[in-house]
Order: sequence, then C-alpha cells, then structure tokens
Amino acid sequence: MVKGLLVSDFNVENLSAYLKNDVSEPRVDTPAIPYGQIGRALLDPSLPCWQSDLDFIVIWTRPEAVLETFGNLLAFSSVDVKRLYEEVDEYAAHLLAIGHRAKVIFVPTWVVPTLHQGHGMLDLAPRVGISRALLQINLRLLENLERASNIVPLNASKWIEAAGEKAFNSRLWYMAKVPFANEVFKAAAKDIKAALRGFGGRSRKLVIVDLDDTLWGGIVGDQGWENLTLGGHDPVGEALVDFQRELKTLTRRGVVLAIVSKNEESVALEAIRKHPEMVLRLDDFAAWRIDWSDKAANIVDVVEELSLGLDSVVFIDDSPVERARVRDALPDVLVPEWPADRRLYPHALRSLDCFDKPTISDEDRHRSGMYVTERRRVELKHEAGTLEEWLRNLSIVVTVESLNVANVARVVQLLNKTNQFNLSTRRVTGPELLAWASRDGRQLWAFRVGDKFGDSGLTGIASVEREGSRARIEDFVLSCRVMGRKVEETMLHIAVEWSREAGLEELYAVYKPTPKNKPCVEFLRTSGLQARAEHVFAWPLRQEYPVCPEIRLIYQTGGLEEMSTDGAEDPDRRT
Amino acid sequence: MSIVRDQILGIVYQCIDELNEQLAPEQQLRKAPHTGLFGDSGMLDSLGFVNFVALVEDKCESCFRVALSLTEDSANQGDASPFESVGELADFIRQLLVNKKAIEE
Repeated sequence: MVKGLLVSDFNVENLSAYLKNDVSEPRVDTPAIPYGQIGRALLDPSLPCWQSDLDFIVIWTRPEAVLETFGNLLAFSSVDVKRLYEEVDEYAAHLLAIGHRAKVIFVPTWVVPTLHQGHGMLDLAPRVGISRALLQINLRLLENLERASNIVPLNASKWIEAAGEKAFNSRLWYMAKVPFANEVFKAAAKDIKAALRGFGGRSRKLVIVDLDDTLWGGIVGDQGWENLTLGGHDPVGEALVDFQRELKTLTRRGVVLAIVSKNEESVALEAIRKHPEMVLRLDDFAAWRIDWSDKAANIVDVVEELSLGLDSVVFIDDSPVERARVRDALPDVLVPEWPADRRLYPHALRSLDCFDKPTISDEDRHRSGMYVTERRRVELKHEAGTLEEWLRNLSIVVTVESLNVANVARVVQLLNKTNQFNLSTRRVTGPELLAWASRDGRQLWAFRVGDKFGDSGLTGIASVEREGSRARIEDFVLSCRVMGRKVEETMLHIAVEWSREAGLEELYAVYKPTPKNKPCVEFLRTSGLQARAEHVFAWPLRQEYPVCPEIRLIYQTGGLEEMSTDGAEDPDRRT
Repeated sequence: MSIVRDQILGIVYQCIDELNEQLAPEQQLRKAPHTGLFGDSGMLDSLGFVNFVALVEDKCESCFRVALSLTEDSANQGDASPFESVGELADFIRQLLVNKKAIEE
C-alpha cells in the first residue's frame, strides 16, 4: 500500500476517495489534511500528518488562496507582475522546503474557474488580464520547482478539459468547499496513479503490435503489400500512418516495439521493407514472431528474448478474439480495448497513460536501437564457439564512474526500475541517493558498457558501505541487457579493490529476495563468493577478485564532491 | 405519472452509480427504492450526501430544464426529510417538478 497525503486549501476529500477506491496498482491510502490549513501545514513540521513516512504528497491549491496579489486581480485590481512573481517564489520556496517529506510531491498547476475569465479582450492584457497572469504564475512556479527532482508539477488544465464546461461546480463549492466537479477529480486520480506507477518503475516498456488491420489496413497475405491501405489520400490510410508515427514517438520515450502476427513471415517482412508509406521499418522492432502459432505463446517468447517481464507489455490487436485470448492467458499483459474505427487508432494510443515516467534519459531515447544491436550480438554468439571467444569478439569496454552530476538521473532510474538483477531492490529518489552517497565510508559506482556493436549505456550499479573492518554491498544492480557478459564479475572486482585499498578484511552481500530478483542470487552462488548463510555471500579481502581478461576497464574521475546534495543543483530533472 | 417517477428513479440510480465510484465496496449504495440515504437509516456521511445531492440536482436540471435546490426545498417542506430513502427522494423530486410546472400532475 502506497501512503500519500493530500494538502489543499479546498476540500479535496473527493480526490482522496477516488484514489483510495481505484483498484489499479499501486493501491493507495491518502488521507487529506483539513482544508484551509495549507499555510500551517507547509510551515509546521510538528503536525501529526508529517510524522509518518510518506510515499507521496499532492499539494493542490487555488491561486487566489495562496497568492494575495492574484486574489486582487480577480477583483479587477491592477496588479504589479513583479509582486505576483515574488509571491509565487515565496510559495515555491515553501514547497521546496518540504521536498524531503515524501519520495515525490505532486503539484497540480493553478486553474481558474471560467466565470472569472469573462474579461473579454482584457483577459490577456498586462496587469489586469486573469488568463495572462495565470500563464505567468504557472510558468514561474514550474521554473521554481525544476530545482527539486522529486517535485513533479501535474497539468490540471488537462483535467479541467476532460470535465468540460461543468468542470467547476458551484453547488459543491457552496455546500462543501469542493471547487471541481467529480470528473476533474477522476482525471486527476488517473494521472496521479499513472505517475505513481512511473515512479515505482511500473511503466510499460514494450508495445507488441499485430500487423493486418492494426499496423496497416487490409490482409497482406491476401492482397499483397502493394494493395494495403496505408498513407495516400485516404482517411484510414492517413490515420494508420499517424498511428505508426505515434508508435515511433514512443520509441523515443524508451518504449520498445515488437510484432506478434499470424502471417507468413516472408510476406509480412517484405511489406515492412518495401511499402513506401511505412513509417516503421525492421530496425524499429526489437523482435518479431510472425507465424501461425498462438499469439499468447509468441508474446511470452518475445518477452523472454528481450529479458523483460510480462507486466511491461502492452499488446495492440484489432481482433477482439485475439485480445480476449491474450487477456485470458497473460493477465499481466495490458491489452487495451481497441477501436473498431481505424481512424481512431492514433488517439487510442495517445490516450494510454501506462508509459508515464518521471524522467527520460539518453538511454531511453536509444533503447530501441540497443535491442536491435542486441539481436546482432546474439547472432554472433551463435557463431562463436566458447564464451571467452564470444566475449573477445565483442570487444567489451566497461567504464567505471562515481556518482556525479552527469549520471545521477540515470543511476536513480536504473536503481528504481531494475527488478531481476537487483541485490536489495532499494527504491530511492535523487535527493535520497545523493544524501546516502555523501556520507563517509560509502561509495557508489556506475558502470557503462559498450562493445563493437554499440553503447549499451549506463547499465550497472554497485555501492558499498564500510562497517568496521568489513564492507557491505548495498546495491548490486545490472540491466538484463548486459547480463552474462562478465560485467557482473567486473563490478565485483571494483568493489573488492576499493575495500582492499581501504584495508578492510571482508566484503559481503546480503541478498534480499523478491518475486523477481532470482537472477541476482544465481550469479552470487556461482561468483566465487563464499556462502555464509542462506542469503549472505562474502569475499575475504586478502585475495584479489580476478578481472575478466576479455573486458577492457576504463576509470573515469569526477564524483559526488562536485555536486550539491540539497537538491538545489540536482540534475535529476525531467527532460 | 409512474413513467415520470421511474424516470426520476433512473436519474437517482445514475447518481448512485457515480457516487459508488467514490465509496469502498462495503459502503456502496444499492439501487433500490428502499435504500437509506441520509438520517437514521442512511448510508451516507455528510460529504457523501453533499456529493449525492449535487449530482441529483445537476442531472435533474439537465433532464427537466429546471433548477432544483433539494436541501433548501426540503427545509421548506417541514419535518419529514425526503432523504430517508431513494424512493422518498424520487417522490419529493416529482412533487417539486410539479410545483415548478416542469411536469404535469
């Protein structure tokens, strides 16, 4: 159960109710502080509401309630923008000051009831325009909040739009100080839940699509690729091109594409290669299964090939029968209802909120390409005789870095989303990790892995903490993309060398089992570390831990001392 | 007359569906005329009641093109609360609509 707190100047109990009763994961418990006490809540750390560990806080205010000058503006007084900005800065400073009280703080942007926007041409005029001032204060607030990586603004205008002309409800306001209709709170709850999934590493990472009447119009096996409906001056053809563009856009957000289709593979691949209006080509897909087998079985196959979990998959198929089959066989796979009208495909894809993530890294943007090169690596492995021969052919380079300004965002992301090869499955925010690593006796390394096929990016993390004459491995995390290439051993080598140089006697690791992190313990059991108890593995530091001769190691300098830990210079920003 | 009452009951049931989205399963209202709303046998707390009243007023206004203020009108009617049950509320709304000439007697 995720624990939250709602803080507002108005009655926000309805949002609390929607969040609590939403059955989607993660389930949340979100009490709300009594409305009207926002100032006290932000200023008084001794209030009981702050005394428990909070996973998230939502701080939702009306601008006139927290910015006196904006209130004057609503009364049609002429206002000084400079003063307005000062009040926004002051309010933002309060938010930044409580940033440490939860893992993440959501701040919906300010909105104003449409009844206040009846100033006609003056609505956007300097000094008196309400909509103008609203744009200015929201932008100012966003700029202020960029300084904290765990404070996430949410676009409340979107929720107002979703509710339509009845978004602001005067009846609820005057009876219970609830300013919005419930449609607004429903939309807000949906966004907040999606954001929590993103922070918890539960965003979907793989979209598997069907081909006929999904990626293109028509049946390629019957009609031939020349006669498919795709592009051209045709409403359906244009929509399907847009649908492919939307899929391509997802790949830039770190989502990987794959195909599962009942077709003749050679015929389908020819269409992908040759149709002039195809936006997606073979290099956009990390894997495909194009045959006449059961689609659920093929999805499992693709997921195994890509070392992902079924709970990271979205399956898109025009056929209700296939959708029902996959839903039934693979309940962890998200199978959205799909419109019968193909012109609605792009909108249906854009409406999915399962890809929400707090940050986008360079690795995310290039993930799809990485999977394509991985396919080529596997082909090479099949050609190579021994593991050593394969590793030599790959020409692996591992670059070791300390935690620094440039890598902290990616380190946090990797730490929070890696489930399989993860010793302790620790979940942290950027400021929490910075605070942890800044203490004496602790060290964290990030590992970048590259080979002759390309750069896999920052894919490994190891951290240790000194405990008297011993050192304990706190984090030992590796992306499944590079597992089995002796990078694991290289990470251990680094941790052992650091501990030996510190004059310690033993390095040990405590494996914390989860339903998903078995690959980590399987490595520990074969790593050469001595098993001390069921989940404890140790290395006596009088011995070196051998480095793999096929791997070239590069050390990069520059560490935590170059950055602030108070969040003010935190680079872990959304990009 | 019964057609209008059924129509009103249908509106109240729609409101119950919407309200139930905010309630835990054990607190959800059943769509039946005898379901208690507010008062001695009522299921709703004060905020639930306010949400429900606002929903019913909004939907009646859309359907019958007349503004209702259920709490105000009920206060004017005397001791008997129309919010004891779903059926009593439907009867009360029907009478208000007649009084406001939104429907015929």
